[in-house]
Amino acid sequence: MSASPLRIVIMPPFDKEFFGAERLSLDAGNLFELIEKLDAQGPGFAKIARARVHLAVDGVLETDWTRPLADVREVIVLPRVGGG
Amino acid sequence: MNAPEKIETFRHIGTRPVRPDGVDKVTGKALYGTDFKAPGMLWGAILRSPHPHARILSIDTRAAEKLAGVKAVATGKDLPTLESLVMHVGEGASDIVDISHNCLAFDKVLYEGHPVAAVAAITPELAREAAALISVEYEVLPHVLGLEEALADDAPLIREPAKGGTGETPSNVAMDVTMGRGEVEAALSGAAVVVEGRYTMEPVHQGYIEPHACVASWNGDGQAQIWCSSQGHFMVRSLTASVLAIPQSDIRVTPLEIGGGFGGKTTVYLEPVAMILSRKSGRPVRLGMSREDVFRATGPAPGAIIDVRLGADADGTLVAAEVTFKYHSGAFAANDAGAGVSSAIGHYRIANTRVSGIEVLCNRPAAKAYRAPGAPQVNFAVESAMDELAIRLGMDPLELRMKNAARPGDLQTSGLPWGEIGWMQCLEAAKAHPHWSAPLGPNQGRGIAGGYWGNYGGPSTVNLSVAEDGTFTVATGSPDIGGSRASMAIMAAEVLEVPYEQVRCVVADTSSIGLSFVTGGSRTTFATGMATVEAAREVKRLLCERAARTWQVPAQHVEWRDGHAVCTSGERQGSKMSAAQVAGSSLHSGGPVTATSALSAQGWLPGFGFHICDVEVDQETGHVSIVRYTAVQDVGRAIHADYVEGQIQGGVAQGIGWALNETYIYNKDGKLENPGFLDYRMPVASDMPMIDTVMVEVPNPVHPYGVKGVGEVPIVPPLAAVANAVRAATGKRMRSLPMSPDKVHAALHGEG
Amino acid sequence: MNRIHVNSTINGDVTEFLCDPGASLLDVLRDTLHLTGSKEGCGSGDCGACTVELDGEMVCSCLVLAAEAEGRTVATIEGVAEGSVLHPVQQKFLEHAALQCGFCTPGFIVAAKSLLDRNPNPTETEVRYWLAGNLCRCTGYDKIVRAVMDAAAELRQERTAA
Repeated sequence: MSASPLRIVIMPPFDKEFFGAERLSLDAGNLFELIEKLDAQGPGFAKIARARVHLAVDGVLETDWTRPLADVREVIVLPRVGGG
Repeated sequence: MNAPEKIETFRHIGTRPVRPDGVDKVTGKALYGTDFKAPGMLWGAILRSPHPHARILSIDTRAAEKLAGVKAVATGKDLPTLESLVMHVGEGASDIVDISHNCLAFDKVLYEGHPVAAVAAITPELAREAAALISVEYEVLPHVLGLEEALADDAPLIREPAKGGTGETPSNVAMDVTMGRGEVEAALSGAAVVVEGRYTMEPVHQGYIEPHACVASWNGDGQAQIWCSSQGHFMVRSLTASVLAIPQSDIRVTPLEIGGGFGGKTTVYLEPVAMILSRKSGRPVRLGMSREDVFRATGPAPGAIIDVRLGADADGTLVAAEVTFKYHSGAFAANDAGAGVSSAIGHYRIANTRVSGIEVLCNRPAAKAYRAPGAPQVNFAVESAMDELAIRLGMDPLELRMKNAARPGDLQTSGLPWGEIGWMQCLEAAKAHPHWSAPLGPNQGRGIAGGYWGNYGGPSTVNLSVAEDGTFTVATGSPDIGGSRASMAIMAAEVLEVPYEQVRCVVADTSSIGLSFVTGGSRTTFATGMATVEAAREVKRLLCERAARTWQVPAQHVEWRDGHAVCTSGERQGSKMSAAQVAGSSLHSGGPVTATSALSAQGWLPGFGFHICDVEVDQETGHVSIVRYTAVQDVGRAIHADYVEGQIQGGVAQGIGWALNETYIYNKDGKLENPGFLDYRMPVASDMPMIDTVMVEVPNPVHPYGVKGVGEVPIVPPLAAVANAVRAATGKRMRSLPMSPDKVHAALHGEG
Repeated sequence: MNRIHVNSTINGDVTEFLCDPGASLLDVLRDTLHLTGSKEGCGSGDCGACTVELDGEMVCSCLVLAAEAEGRTVATIEGVAEGSVLHPVQQKFLEHAALQCGFCTPGFIVAAKSLLDRNPNPTETEVRYWLAGNLCRCTGYDKIVRAVMDAAAELRQERTAA
C-alpha cells in the first residue's frame, strides 16, 4: 500500500463516461485492486477496462496490472489506442 | 549522427539474409488463404444486400435448399442470440455482437454488400446459383453516407440508440474523444499568425491483393478446425469462438500464408459463417470473397472532415493548436478516433491544445484498421497547416518543424511524457540529405511532412527448441506478413552466436503455441522478437548447464561463446562443447532442450518519420507525378535492414496512392461505384520512382536489440508531403483528397 | 452440364482436363490441376497475380477461358525454376527482398521473366511499364524493379559466358 493515496488522473472519455471527475484519490496495492476500486466509483468501468483502457504509472504505460503500487505517486487512466 | 555511447557490434542484427520462407514464395509452393482445400470440402457462397439500409422482413431459403447438391443454408438466425454472446466477449475493443451482425445481418442490413445468407454446395457454381435463389423481402430505409448528413437532426439512425453516444438523444455518434491542455482560444487570439482550414477525404481501402478466404470444419463433438490467412490466428480463434459461443480450445486455427493485411485482416468476416455451414452439412466448407466483396464489405479506413487551427508567435513558436475531426465509422462502432486524437499534434511542443474527434455511424462497411489507423487523416490536415504557417511566417518549413519539434520528456497530447524518441534526429538527417537541397525542374515542387505512430507491444509466445544435431527451431504465434520469420531467426542466431541458417522459424497453429496478438500495431519484431530473445537466452543457459553437469563443474564456470559452451575456469578450463555436442547427448543429460517465453511486452516506443517529396504537375491535365521521394525514419534498430526499408517503401506507396488516386465513390443510391482495381486506382510500378530510405537508429533501451515498430509510421506523412509539394509546384493548396487530375486541373484553371 | 475435354501442354507436361464452358484457365489451374501458385486477386485482369504465358505470350489467366488452352502451351510459376534450381529472376527476388507478403510474387516473376526473354537489357522505365499490369501493395515496387534489373544483368553475363 502506498504511503499516501494515489493521485488518479482520468482522461476523456472515461472522466465523463464513468466518474464525473478528472481527478480521484485512492489507495490500491496494485492495478487490479485500483480497477476494482474505480469500478466501485464508476460502475461498469472494470468490465470495459481490459478492452478500452491503458494505465500509466508515473508517466509510463504499464500493462502488468499485478505491479505493486508502493512508492507510486500517480496513475493515469487513458484510452487504449488500436494498431493496424 | 546519433553516435551511441558504446558501439555495439553484431553478428546478424542489421544484415540482409534471404528469408527462410522465400523459396516457397518465389516458386508458387506457399499456401495462402485462398489456396487451401480440405478433402470432401464444400464450396460456400454468400448472398449480400443490394441496399445500403433496409429492414429484413423475411428470408425464404426453400428454393436454395431444394437445389440438388446444396448441403447447407445459413442466415443470421443461425448465429447465437445477443444474450448468449454477452457471456463470451472477445479480446479487443470490438463489440462481439457487432462482429456477429457484420458476419450475417440480423434484422437490418446496414450497407450495400452486408451478408444476409450463405449456402454450401458441392461446386462453387452451384453454391452461387443457390445463393441467387434465396429470396429476401426488404423494407428499404433511408440511408446516409456523408459525415455531416449523418450528424443532422433528421438523419436516419444506423442504430437505435447509437452506442456510446454522448448526447442524450440518439445520434450516429459512436465515439467521442477529446484531449488537450491550456487555453486554446486565448492563445490563438494572442498569436501573431493563425492559419485555419478544413480538410476532407472519402474512405480508402487497405488494398491487400489476397481476398479473404477460409476453410472450416466443425465436427459433431464440438471440435473444429479453421484454415485461413489473417493477421492473427489467435484473434480468429477468440472472435469465432465468441461469436459462436463455444470454447476457444475446441477450435484449432492453422495459419496459412497471408497475402497482405495492413490492418484489414484483424477481424473475422467469413470464419463463423463457414463454421455454421460446416456444422449443418457435416463437411468442411470453404468461403471466399471476390474482389468486389472485399471492396464492398471489408473495412475501409475512414474518410474524414478535419478542421485545424494553428497559432504561432512571429518567431515561429507554436502557441496553440485546435484539431476537430469527424471520421466515418461505417455500420458499426470503429476505433480510429482515439488514435487520431493522439496522433494529430504530439510531434510538436505546444502549450495550448485541444484535439477532439468523433466516429460517425453511416451506411458504409464497418471501418477497420489501416496501417497507423486514424493517423494519416489528421496528419494530412496538421502538416498541410504547418506548411501554410511557414509560408505565412516567411520561414523555411523544415526550420519551423525543427524549432517546435517534441523531444524526449516533452508531453504528448495524452499528457504522458515522450520517451526516447528520434524525431529531432530524423529532422536533422533530412536537412543533411542531398535531396533537401537538390535543384527542381520546371513545374516541379518540393513538399515535406513529418509524423509518428505510437506502436504497440503486448502478448507473444515463442518456443525455441534444439534438435539432436544442435540446430534450432523458433515457433511463434505471429503470422509472417513481411519477413518476420527472418527477423526472428536473426535475433535468435544473434543470441546463440550461431550461423543464421542454423535457426529456422515457423508460425505455429493455435493448438501448438501459446497466445499471441495479431501481427499489427507494428508489434511483431518488438514483442515477438522480445520473446524470441528471451527464449534463446534460456536455451543458451540450459545448454551451458548441461555442459557444466557433463564436465562436473559449477554452472558459473561455463559460458556460451561463439556457439559453444566453454569452461572458463578450474581443471576443465578451455573445454568446449558445440550446440550439436550438448544436444546430441541431451537425452542422457536431462532430456530435450527447449524453452518457451510467454510475455506481454512493455516499453514500446513510437516511431517518427519525415518525408521529402518532389512532384511534377502537368499544367494541361492536372496529373501529378512523383519524381523523387525520400523517407527518413527512426527505426530504433533495423533487425533485417531490407525488410525495414521495404516497410518504409510500401507505406510511402500506399500514402501516395491515398494522396493522388484512391477513394471510395458511392452513388446517390448508396452503392459503391468503383469496387475493382481498375476504378479503385492503386499505384502501379510506372507511377512510382525509387523510394530513398534513411534509417535513423535511436535504439529503444527496453528492447534487447533496440527495436521500435516500423511498419505503420511511413503511411502517415505522405498525404501532406505530396499536398505540400503540389502547393509548391502550383501555388494551390489542395485540401481535399485525392488530388486526382480533375481536382488539380480545376484548382489550376479555376473551375473548382 | 456439358463439360469440355481439353488437351494442352502445361509446364512441358501433356495435360488433359475437363472444364465447364465458362471456367477460366485460372480456375482450372488452381482448382482442377492444383497449381495454386497462380493467384486470383481480382478475377478481372487488373492485378496480374494470375499471370501465365500462353504460347509464350503473357496473359492474365483469369481472362482466358480454360477451353482456349486446347492445343496450346501454358507456362505457370510452377515451371519457372528448373527442378530445384531457381531462375535468376526468382533468385534476385530473394536476394533483394523484393517480396513481403509474397502473394503477388508469382505473377511478377512470370511477367518479369517474360520481359527478360524479349528484352535482355531493359531500362528502369521499361521495367516499370512492363510490370504496370501487376499490383503489389507491400513493397512500393522499389526492390522489385531492382531485382528485375539485377536479374537482367546476371542473365546477360550468363549469355556472354556461354
